[in-house]
Amino acid sequence: MNDRLRALYKTVILEHSNNPMYFEKKEVTQFVLKAHSPICGDRFEFFFDIDDEVVNNLSFYGHGCAISKASASIMVRKLRGQSIRKALTICAEFYNYVNIESALPEPMDEEFEAFSAAKIFPERKKCATLSWDEMSDFLTKYQNQ
Amino acid sequence: MFDVTKVKADFPIFKHHPDLIYLDNASTTQKPGAVIDGVKNFYEKENANIHRGFYKIAIETSKNYQSVRTKAANYLGAADSKNIVFTSGTTESINLVAQSFLEPRLEAGDNVIISAMEHHANLIPWQMLCQKKGAELRVIPMDQTAQLDLSGYKKMLSEKTKMISVVHISNSLGSVNPIEDIIELAHEKDIPVLVDGAQSVMNYEMNIRNLDCDFFVFSAHKIFGPTGVGVLYGKEKWLKKMQPIQFGGDMIKEVSFEKTTFADFPQKFESGTQNLAGVIGLGHTIDYLEKFEKKEVMKYLEMLGKYAIEKLSAIENLKIFGNSNHNSNIISFNLKNIHPHDVATFLAEENIAVRAGQHCTQPAMDLLGIPGTIRASFTIYNSTDEVDKLVKSLKSIQKFFA
Repeated sequence: MNDRLRALYKTVILEHSNNPMYFEKKEVTQFVLKAHSPICGDRFEFFFDIDDEVVNNLSFYGHGCAISKASASIMVRKLRGQSIRKALTICAEFYNYVNIESALPEPMDEEFEAFSAAKIFPERKKCATLSWDEMSDFLTKYQNQ
Repeated sequence: MFDVTKVKADFPIFKHHPDLIYLDNASTTQKPGAVIDGVKNFYEKENANIHRGFYKIAIETSKNYQSVRTKAANYLGAADSKNIVFTSGTTESINLVAQSFLEPRLEAGDNVIISAMEHHANLIPWQMLCQKKGAELRVIPMDQTAQLDLSGYKKMLSEKTKMISVVHISNSLGSVNPIEDIIELAHEKDIPVLVDGAQSVMNYEMNIRNLDCDFFVFSAHKIFGPTGVGVLYGKEKWLKKMQPIQFGGDMIKEVSFEKTTFADFPQKFESGTQNLAGVIGLGHTIDYLEKFEKKEVMKYLEMLGKYAIEKLSAIENLKIFGNSNHNSNIISFNLKNIHPHDVATFLAEENIAVRAGQHCTQPAMDLLGIPGTIRASFTIYNSTDEVDKLVKSLKSIQKFFA
């Protein structure tokens, strides 16, 4: 086990992937958003309502690698109950941790920081961003409607 | 006697990456020095376009290009070099048959049969064509051990079946399909059969005339040759009738503004300047392969495959998909509760190259109810030592995720 791997598979990632938060399929929500990576086969669904511009009752279900599952779990926890505007700010903040060109913010968010190792594993970056890409895309479009 | 150390030394990539354990051969193989040098030599000493030059290197290259056709025909056991069409690879070969051969023959209400374990390249071309024509795509079912259901297949055959296209060795599960039976049953009803030989052409005692399939396709890059070049073998009676689907230079007899007469086959399917270096490289590839006794190679690969299955099966919480009696050197497996991509990342850190995911066979993965697998695929430069290293790494990954 080398340091690079230890950096990628931080405890926070293993914990979230083994025990994902709000991991449940819901029958009746306003929105079901799909995140699918055709190359990996990772497949998640996000269930939520939007009331008065606020993302409510957010949960998710599906399968993927440890990185993508942990990332989805953390995203769900962070965006639950947030206004769309705030949710998009949180998305932008997350991207600061995984994009090569961005410097790590101070002070660091410990959960987000766990994904910064995606910088040294470029082939795993999509695992970290899959859910965030779909969600931020959806929220941006919703906001501009 | 097959000497793996000597064989490995033929492949320069292992001089540059001495620790590399390359087990992704079903995706693409490494290239022997003889093939790399052959391509380099072509560009350095022989480069000229074919069929239209009056000067020495053009004549030489035209001759060499055609001689690869003969080599490919001999390699497959085809009746004549005319049966060989050069394409960009398996994918293009299948698309060519779908569009040029089947499209004019397929009508609404007809059906085309493929299997449940097809690569997307042997699924989508037929699916698109069936949708366009209002025909039905029938799928031979497979069971949980990744074996095709032949009795189901028999029932599917009808007067309306216009084509059968099946993979010989599954790229994602390693199953060796009973293509002899599939072909025989189809021919009883005069239905033409295409065999996707991308994974089998090298690992199988191949004689296309005995096999009697109507079309056979493979890519050079999976048998140590260059990328971007492949072969479509077709029976003369079909190639003769097929109309080209791509038009341009070098595929005509006569052209006027009113009318064009096409060249004979296989020429009419090779429009434009072909992948000359690729074809020349394929020639060197076949030369390289023919240096070996095929029986010895097959014996070695069988031993290696059995060894790998035995060692992998002994790992707790490791599940091998497909039928372990099949000796195809493609082994697909999962570690319980660990995603294939996480496993592949850990293996990569140990310089072990495998593939993880759906392997372009999403419907087959869906049928097995799994998101994907880890696939280790072995070939002539792999050794039992490498299997041991793979096993050791897999065990340490299990420990980390436990």
